Amino acid sequence: MAILINENTRVLIQGITGTVGAFQTRIMKDYGTRVVAGVTPGKGGSRMDDTPVYDFVAEAAAEHEIDAAFGFVPARFARDAAMEVLDAGIPLQVITSEGIPDRDMLTIIHYARAKDAVVVGPDTAGIISPGKCKLGVHPDKMFMQGRVGILSKSGALSYEVGKELTENGIGQSTVVGIGGGPFWGLSQTEVLKMFQEDPETDIIVMLGEVGGKMEQEAAQYIKAHVTKPVVALIVGRAAPEGAQMGHAGAIVEGKEGTAQSKIQALREAGAHIASRPADITRIIKGIGG
Amino acid sequence: MRLLEYQAKQLFLKYDVRVPQGKLITCADDLDGCFYPAVLKVQVPIGGRGKAGGIRVAKDRSAATTLYPSLLATEVKGYYAQTLFAEETIEIEREIYLALLYDRANNSPMIMASGIGGMDIEQVAHEEPEKIIRIHYDPFLGVQPYMLRRLAKFLQLSDTAELVRVIKGMYAIFTEYHATLVEINPLAETPVGLVVLDAKVELDDKAESSQAELYQALRSEQHFKSSKTLTAAEALASENHVKYVLLDGDVGIITDGAGTGMLTLDLVQDEGGKPANFCELGGLANPDLMHKAIKVVLANTNVKALLISLIGGLTRMDEMAEGIARYLGENKNPIPIVVRMCGTQEEVGKEILRSVGLTPFYDITDAVREAVSLAQKSK
Repeated sequence: MAILINENTRVLIQGITGTVGAFQTRIMKDYGTRVVAGVTPGKGGSRMDDTPVYDFVAEAAAEHEIDAAFGFVPARFARDAAMEVLDAGIPLQVITSEGIPDRDMLTIIHYARAKDAVVVGPDTAGIISPGKCKLGVHPDKMFMQGRVGILSKSGALSYEVGKELTENGIGQSTVVGIGGGPFWGLSQTEVLKMFQEDPETDIIVMLGEVGGKMEQEAAQYIKAHVTKPVVALIVGRAAPEGAQMGHAGAIVEGKEGTAQSKIQALREAGAHIASRPADITRIIKGIGG
Repeated sequence: MRLLEYQAKQLFLKYDVRVPQGKLITCADDLDGCFYPAVLKVQVPIGGRGKAGGIRVAKDRSAATTLYPSLLATEVKGYYAQTLFAEETIEIEREIYLALLYDRANNSPMIMASGIGGMDIEQVAHEEPEKIIRIHYDPFLGVQPYMLRRLAKFLQLSDTAELVRVIKGMYAIFTEYHATLVEINPLAETPVGLVVLDAKVELDDKAESSQAELYQALRSEQHFKSSKTLTAAEALASENHVKYVLLDGDVGIITDGAGTGMLTLDLVQDEGGKPANFCELGGLANPDLMHKAIKVVLANTNVKALLISLIGGLTRMDEMAEGIARYLGENKNPIPIVVRMCGTQEEVGKEILRSVGLTPFYDITDAVREAVSLAQKSK
């Protein structure tokens, strides 16, 4: 199983002919991801290696069965690209762009709700289900197949933890990057629910950071509904108030959004708290994972 | 971008929402022809003007002449105005709070309102949360009539039509200008109807490219001074579009991710070191950005050791190494640099680093310990 994606997921890449798009698409295909089509406006009818390229998502969707879309699209075109995917009826899409205007992002999120589609991101590295499918830009050798589910706001932090676990022989079922905000399609709580219900996931690792209240909501959900062990690492303990820590959503405002407040909420919800990646290995080995 | 009060009020006027009669004061001569007694207000892009003494009533022209220089010399949280806004005084019966903004908790735009106006809304939210109403609306369908009736009832306003006019204006500004906040605080109930006494409008800078001309025009109208001076590193960062937060320690930090950047800061602190900054390159970093980031971080003379912690996905390690090598080629004896490198194109990157005399670390904790120890040794 794994959540969101698996070895059968058929993928469309938006922006497939760009420098980054082409480079990362080749890595995804080498990993085994079933990339069936690409879209770059104006490049329809050409090919990127052996993958057919179309001008519009709907044209690609008329020729191929598509389960998920992945976009290498500049922020100012992100809304248009996302709406095109939703209108083509594709049920899952990953939005990597950083700096999408708030109104555009909310439009995408609300339209996706209306279409019953899942949007992952924005500002995310994507999703990897080790050994099965990589719908993202992860350095894949840092991940291996197993039974720990990872959800993370930060892409790089998920690599860091994936590397730590993989080097210690602990594999992962799926690694989901929900992105840096400040608005999120898929939330931590929704991913927690998927992992809780996934028969191939035994332990959940949640990587959070300063800013907002999403971790507090996740903590409430954990307390009420999650029976699998949760290990949480919240970064930004050393972050000063009022400064934007790289991600649009990572900002401590007054007493709200501090790492400490999130750690406390998660601890009270029964999560195991890690202070650094190596702690996660130790905790999982202690649990017997 | 935050608009100055008078700029926000021009927008309200454009959308038929009542504001007091006002005049922009750019020099002492402009004080002629104001509606005395007049409220003189410093035009700075920050709240707390009243508390700082930046809002004063002048009963006549001669009082205004006396107040003018002292208002220009009034500091409001690090800002000094170069223009004032003079408004007629208004007979106030009651003050209300009204705002349109996005609710991050459920990804929706909302109307937020309170019968307690003129106060810091966060304080009201904290002390009397039941005095605030939040009405979420669908971004496609907009505000529905029943929502307005509900709002009028909560605010105990008898004239719903008046309220509708105000909300319509706010909604137009919110949607047409890519605003993230349109706030009226206070909105005054007066014998002539609802009047905007103070307003705050914030535009979404992420949408600047879609309204570049407007931004240029608004900026050219904003005249104020800031007493906040940037350090050399901060100025360089802003000039080069490098994400940088200055801190007060001595371990310089550059990372290729935000989450790993925060983790690195935490680890440096846990190992007994003090981070000198946060600096994150983002997913689409190239050699040039790395090169610039090193210059930014080392422009802070407190930095005793530089820790570059990289774990590349989208970021290519060969390109990052190229940026580091270029810097070392230009600067023969910099302060100690510790590089942690793994991820996409890692082997090529490490080769480049070794060719310029650096021994890359693979484990983040080892790299952090080395950087903290080097910074401490140099004391």
